[in-house]
Amino acid sequence: MAVNGTILIVEDEDSICDFIATSLRAQNYKTVEAKNAREGIALAASLCPDLILLDLGLPDMDGGEVIKSVRQWSMLPIIVISARSQEKEKVQALDMGADDYITKPFGVPELMARIRTAMRHGMIAVGGRPAAQVFRVGDLMLDFEKRLVKLGGTEIHLTQVEYKIVAFLARNAGKVMTYDAVISHVWGPYMDDNNRILRVNMANIRRKIEKNPAEPRYIFTETGVGYRMAEEE
Amino acid sequence: MEKLRDLFAKIPRWLMEERPQKSYWGRKWEITWKNTLVTAAILAVATLVAWIYNRISESTVNIVMFYTVALIFIPRFTEGYVPGIAAAMISVVCVNYLFTYPYSRLDFTQEGYPVTFFCMMLIAVVVSAVTSYTKEQSRTLAAQEKQLREAEKEKLRANLLRAVSHDLRTPLTGIIGASSSYLENESRLSEEEKRNMVRHIGTDANWLLNMVENLLTVTRIRDGAINSVNKSMEAVEEVLSGAVGRVRKRVPQIQVTVRMPEDFIMIPMDAMLIEQVLVNLMENAHFHAHSAKPIELYTVNEAHFVRFSVRDYGTGIAPDRLETIFDGEALTDGGDPDSYRGMGIGLSICKTIIAAHGGRIEAKNCDQGAQISFWLPREETDQDVKAYS
Repeated sequence: MAVNGTILIVEDEDSICDFIATSLRAQNYKTVEAKNAREGIALAASLCPDLILLDLGLPDMDGGEVIKSVRQWSMLPIIVISARSQEKEKVQALDMGADDYITKPFGVPELMARIRTAMRHGMIAVGGRPAAQVFRVGDLMLDFEKRLVKLGGTEIHLTQVEYKIVAFLARNAGKVMTYDAVISHVWGPYMDDNNRILRVNMANIRRKIEKNPAEPRYIFTETGVGYRMAEEE
Repeated sequence: MEKLRDLFAKIPRWLMEERPQKSYWGRKWEITWKNTLVTAAILAVATLVAWIYNRISESTVNIVMFYTVALIFIPRFTEGYVPGIAAAMISVVCVNYLFTYPYSRLDFTQEGYPVTFFCMMLIAVVVSAVTSYTKEQSRTLAAQEKQLREAEKEKLRANLLRAVSHDLRTPLTGIIGASSSYLENESRLSEEEKRNMVRHIGTDANWLLNMVENLLTVTRIRDGAINSVNKSMEAVEEVLSGAVGRVRKRVPQIQVTVRMPEDFIMIPMDAMLIEQVLVNLMENAHFHAHSAKPIELYTVNEAHFVRFSVRDYGTGIAPDRLETIFDGEALTDGGDPDSYRGMGIGLSICKTIIAAHGGRIEAKNCDQGAQISFWLPREETDQDVKAYS
C-alpha cells in the first residue's frame, strides 16, 4: 500500500508521541519524531514533511517559534496540539500561521479527520489540486461560481455579508477560522475588534440554514476561537 | 497526599509565629515618634483649653481637671506606659508654671502640691495599665479569630482535597489494574476480554479527564469573589451549542433537546466556564435522573437576567438534599451509590462559577423530575437586537 504521506511529530511527551506515531503508522503514514523545537525546525527543513503535528509546550522554545520558522519558507500544513482552556494560545498559534488545532486529549478518529482536512487544504494551497466549484455537506450546497446556497434543494437567500461568511467558511471547511480571520476577510482589515457584528450575522445565518440553531449541523462554534464549517463528505 | 497534609498542618503554626518579635516589657517601655507626637498634641489641646477657660472665668479651680482628662486620653491613643507617665510629669509642671501663682515660674513649695503630683502620677499609671491591658486583650481576641477563620478555610480545603483524591483514586485503580493485568496475562486473555479491559481503561480515563477539567476551571476564577472572571460578550446560543457539542462528545448516548428564544442575545461571561456549568448539569441529569425522556436545555430572557435551565423527567432530587446539593457535601457521605460519579464536586464548581459571574443557581423538583436553573446578569444597554428586525 502506498504511503499516505510523511508526518513530523514535534512533541516532548514520549507516551503521547508514541500513541500518535503508532496510530498514524497504522493508517499508512510515515512518521518522524522530534522531541524539542530545535530538532523540529531542523527536521522540518531537511525532510520537508507533508504535515507537522506540533505541541505548543516544548522544553526548549515556545511551539510558536516553530510555526514562525517554518512559515518563512513553506506553507506546509501545521496542526497545533494544545491544552484546553487556553483559547488565547490557540488563537495566537492560528494567527501565526498554524492551519488548525486539536485539543488535548483527543481521540484517534478526530486526529485523523484533522490530518486529512489539513492535507487536502495544503494541496489546494500549493496548487496541486484545484479548489472545488461546488461545496456540499449534508443538505447544504454552495455553488461558488453562481454564489448560490441551497438547503435540501431550496434556495436560501443570504445577504451579501452572510454569503461572504458562509463561503469563506466553506472554502476552509473542516478548519477553524478565528473571529479575526473571518472579520478581516468579510469587512476588511480596518474593522475594529468588536466581533459582535459577526456574531449577529452568524445568528442570522444559523436561523436560515440550521434546523436547530442551538444544535448546528453545518457551522460549529469553537468557543473563544472562531467558527468551523462541517467537512464535505 | 501525605506531603500535602504535612504542608497544610504547617500553615496554622506559621500563622501563629507571624506576630512581632519584641518582648512584652520591651514594648511597654518603648519610646516612639508616634507616641511622642500624640502625647504632645493632646497636652497642647489640654493646655489651650485650660488657657481659654482661665481667660474667660479668671479661675484656676478646674485647670487640673483638664489635664486629668488629657491624662486619661493619652494612654488610649498611645502604646505602653511611657507617654502616660511623661504626660503626668509635664502636666504637673504646666499647671505649676502656667496656671498657679507665681505665674511663669516653677514653684514646688506650695501647700498640697505633692498631693496633686501624686494623684496625677497615679491616674497616669493606672489608666496606662488598664488601657494597655484591654488593648492586649482585644489583640489576642482578633488573632484568635483570624486563626479560627484560617482553620475553617483549611478545613474546607482539606475536605475538598480529600474528596478529590478519593474520587481520583477509584478510576486510577481501575486503569492501573486493567493495564497491568493486560500486560501480564495477555496470552491467556480472550480477544473479547482484552477489548473490554481497554474499553474500561478508556471510560475511567475519560471520567478522570472530566474531573480534572472541572478542577482546572476553578483556576480561571480569582478568589471566588463576584466578577472575578474574564468576561466578554458572548452569544447565548453559541454557548448552548458549544455545551451540547461537548456533552455529546463525552456521552454520545445522551438525549438533549435545546430550546431558546428567537431573540439574539449576547451577555457578558467567560464562555468556557459557562459551557462547563452546562456540561456538568446535563451530565448530572443524564446519570442521576434515570429517565427515558430527553433532558431539556433552554434559556429565558428576563428583564435583568438570562435564565438557563436544565430540566429532566427522572426521579427528582431528594428533598433533604435540595439545600446542600451545590455545597459539595454529597460527595463525602459515601452512602450514595452514584458517588463514584463525583457529581458533588461538579455541582459545587457550578455554584462557584455562577457566583463568580454575579449570578445565582437554584435546584428544584417539578411534578416529574428536577430542574436546575441559573441566572446570569445581562448588561442594560442596547445590546439586544432582534434576530429578525
